[in-house]
Amino acid sequence: MRPRLRLWGKKRGGRMSGWWFVGSLGEALFFASFFLVGILCFTTIVVWQFLSPSTQVVRIGYGFWLLTTVSAAGIVLGAVGFWYRVLKVATSDEHREVIAKHGIVSRPNQPHIKTVLPPTVPLLSSFTDSPGAKLAYRLPCEWPGTGSLIAIGLFAMFWNAMVAVFTVFALRGLLGGDIQYRLLILIVPAIYIGLRSGQLFFKSYVQAIGIGSTTVEIEDLPLVPGEKYKLLLVQYGRLVIKNLTIRLVCEEESTYHFGTDIRTEQEVVRQLPILNQGRSRIDWGRPLELECEVSIPSDAMHSFQSLHNAIHWKIIVEGEANRWPSYCRSFPVVVYPHVRTKPFSLSS
Amino acid sequence: MIRLLGLQPTYMPHDLLEFEYRVSNVDQNSISAVEASVVWLTEGKGTEDLGVHSFQRLTGNSLSATDWSIPQKIQVPLPDSPLSYEGRLLKISWCVRIRFYLNDGTELVAQQPFYLGTITREV
Repeated sequence: MRPRLRLWGKKRGGRMSGWWFVGSLGEALFFASFFLVGILCFTTIVVWQFLSPSTQVVRIGYGFWLLTTVSAAGIVLGAVGFWYRVLKVATSDEHREVIAKHGIVSRPNQPHIKTVLPPTVPLLSSFTDSPGAKLAYRLPCEWPGTGSLIAIGLFAMFWNAMVAVFTVFALRGLLGGDIQYRLLILIVPAIYIGLRSGQLFFKSYVQAIGIGSTTVEIEDLPLVPGEKYKLLLVQYGRLVIKNLTIRLVCEEESTYHFGTDIRTEQEVVRQLPILNQGRSRIDWGRPLELECEVSIPSDAMHSFQSLHNAIHWKIIVEGEANRWPSYCRSFPVVVYPHVRTKPFSLSS
Repeated sequence: MIRLLGLQPTYMPHDLLEFEYRVSNVDQNSISAVEASVVWLTEGKGTEDLGVHSFQRLTGNSLSATDWSIPQKIQVPLPDSPLSYEGRLLKISWCVRIRFYLNDGTELVAQQPFYLGTITREV
């Protein structure tokens, strides 16, 4: 296939269009040159400073320290990048993984065996640091709209601040008799965007806080397949709920490169209903409390977390309320694999 | 050649994985290094991840002291996780992987898959 020079086009897909060796060699040369330039600059600046202070170009001060720091950063970046590329070519995937965990010096005749149990399962500390009021643990809440609410808020804040500055300039010109027509033409749509973004932010904010908070408490953590656990759901606020469901969901998550993009895909692979609550009224000081039991299937896959792939277990609470849009709140849990108590024997 | 010494290619957590490997039709003096590892890896839509549970590298004296005409036997206790899994976006698989590095730069790789746990495969 004839190589194409792509200046503006975006690379898509994971297919490599060149020889991998040329890419690795290019990367290694780039980092090696970075290292050499860093060394050259660093030695020139420092040695010149001490050997010939009278002819020095950069006197000790902000400029000197800035150049020294940049040169040192170039040396470190170049050295690390170069050796990483060399290791990538010269060692196997397994050997590199072991070096990353145990260091370069290894004992050749002693196999490395991980002793931390259970590996690749998320740590429990972030799930068990909040005790519950009635049951053992209060689960952390993952509200899917938090990121978009913060993003909309930040955008509205910065956009409106920028529009306010330009409006002041335009008004000053208008009052001084120097009417800047181009600025005025640009400000009109900018003000509209600012107002709409502010409106969107406050609408999302009211929706977020209008329906009261939801808490879920659980009897024990980590969850183990084949076991049953008590669950307590508390819904605060002042609203009439038409329907409220609780589900246990298993979700796979994969992160991959698509051309120059990094994408994350999620897919629910298993969901089990826990509770379905009909119409109920909630008032201030009288939250809705629902007790139920969640059973983990004996053939459930355990929670898994690696660099680019994960399997998450979550308790999902979905509700429909009068005069409010439907809402969904997610409470992650950790499922451990079955642990056999009988230790293995090496006698054979 | 790698041979698992268990009766079935399915193991449970904490089981002892026993396997042996040998190389034939290769001059013993031409081997510069040998790596034997037990690894799990993810396959599927996401970028592949690799975890090394056990790793053994033979070079120098330890390599020359080895008689390659007889199979080399290794025992590795298996961990609790990750269990073998076949999902929609990702698959977790386990294997024994042997790499032989020859003096002329050739690399011989052989791997033998096995299952850890019975989440997605009945014994």
